[in-house]
Amino acid sequence: MGRRADIVAGLGGATPALRRYARALCAGAGPAIADDLVQSALQSVGARIRSRELRPADLAEARIETYATLVALAEKKLGNAPVPAARHPPIIHGLAGLAFDERAVLLLVSLEGFGYDAAARIVGASRETALAQLMRARMALGAEGLRPVAPLESGRRAVSHLRIVK
Amino acid sequence: MTPSAFIEEADLHALVDGELDPERRRKVEDHLLQHPEDAALVEGWRRQNAALRAAFEPVALEPPPLSLREAAARPPAPPVGQGPIETGAIHWGRPGAAPRPMRKLDEIRASRRRQALASTLLTLVAGAAVAVAALLFLASRPPTQSPMLTRAATSYAARAGLTYATYILDAHPVEIDAARRDELLAWLQERVGFSRAPDLSGVGLRLLGGRVAPGVAAPAAFLIYQRDDGARVGLYFERAEAVAAPSGQRGQGVTVIEWRASGFAFVLVGALPPDAMQVAAEAAAAAVLAPPTETK
Repeated sequence: MGRRADIVAGLGGATPALRRYARALCAGAGPAIADDLVQSALQSVGARIRSRELRPADLAEARIETYATLVALAEKKLGNAPVPAARHPPIIHGLAGLAFDERAVLLLVSLEGFGYDAAARIVGASRETALAQLMRARMALGAEGLRPVAPLESGRRAVSHLRIVK
Repeated sequence: MTPSAFIEEADLHALVDGELDPERRRKVEDHLLQHPEDAALVEGWRRQNAALRAAFEPVALEPPPLSLREAAARPPAPPVGQGPIETGAIHWGRPGAAPRPMRKLDEIRASRRRQALASTLLTLVAGAAVAVAALLFLASRPPTQSPMLTRAATSYAARAGLTYATYILDAHPVEIDAARRDELLAWLQERVGFSRAPDLSGVGLRLLGGRVAPGVAAPAAFLIYQRDDGARVGLYFERAEAVAAPSGQRGQGVTVIEWRASGFAFVLVGALPPDAMQVAAEAAAAAVLAPPTETK
């Protein structure tokens, strides 16, 4: 009981990363949708752990479950074609151009730092499939004309100018 | 895109993603030194990663919205994929202490609602009780209506006494004296509705004159008669219901005799001895009831 409560409480610490991932997964479809997805995923996993439907061995496993729930919810909610606004930086337009599975895996690995095995588990695919999706995503994103020169500074500037203050 | 025989594209990705063991990693790095085009690919992917982190890291750095704080620990979790996703779950409490205060708030609201309901019912019941009491009180009053009549009857006498006290010793006891009898009677007919000045000469009383005076509910007539010795008697009459029986009373040397006739209350007020007053009253009553042609 105590361990379950600890895991559920620990999931709260994963909230910022989940928000980051959801925001990227939505690829400009809107922060409200992303936060809704995170909330639904957290509540769903929390409830399933409390009801013992889910028995994660540790917090890392619970975290993977939460990402998996988030991806499933997002796929249902977003479909394949989120429409980013024109003001968004090119990287977001590039993300929006990817297939959902490719985007999900790419972001899990590149943005969230998951290993290939964990990423494959989260999207519910084999390691090979996940790796293939990752490769396709990187190729497509590179071919999208992602800024060859200093994409980092540009991206950071765009973001820092458009800070969400509330 | 053209990895050497030992190095596959997957290895390049694995290098970027830190999925290689140290030995394999060294091999791949050696490969990149010899193959700048592959090194450019790896560099491009690293830039992609950096661009992604730059674009979305600020999201992880902002404080999560209130709706997400302790979302996993919140008891009512909607089933996955079913029901509306909560969007407006704002907790106006201390951040991080959402669930219990929310429950408390609900309890407080519920108890306040109960209190409000109870006080509303109490007010309604109290109001109904007051209304019933008032109805019972009013319903118990009609049977005791006669006191009102007697009060009105005594009021004529009291009013007559007051009028008598006001005018009888006045320098101008009458408004119109007996010499202008017709004018006086016309005035009384118009204002009081009864225009007969009984002739009481049979009992030694001569009409001095009269006036219109304030009555109990309507203008009243006040006629003054004088005896040869100077004693004065007032005859007061006002429109009233002919219910009360003739009554007489005496106080402070003044005798008051009241009777009803022809829809008027007549009061004879005077300082004469009661016998004389009684005689005068009977004469006046007889005169009032006599046919009008006689007086005119």
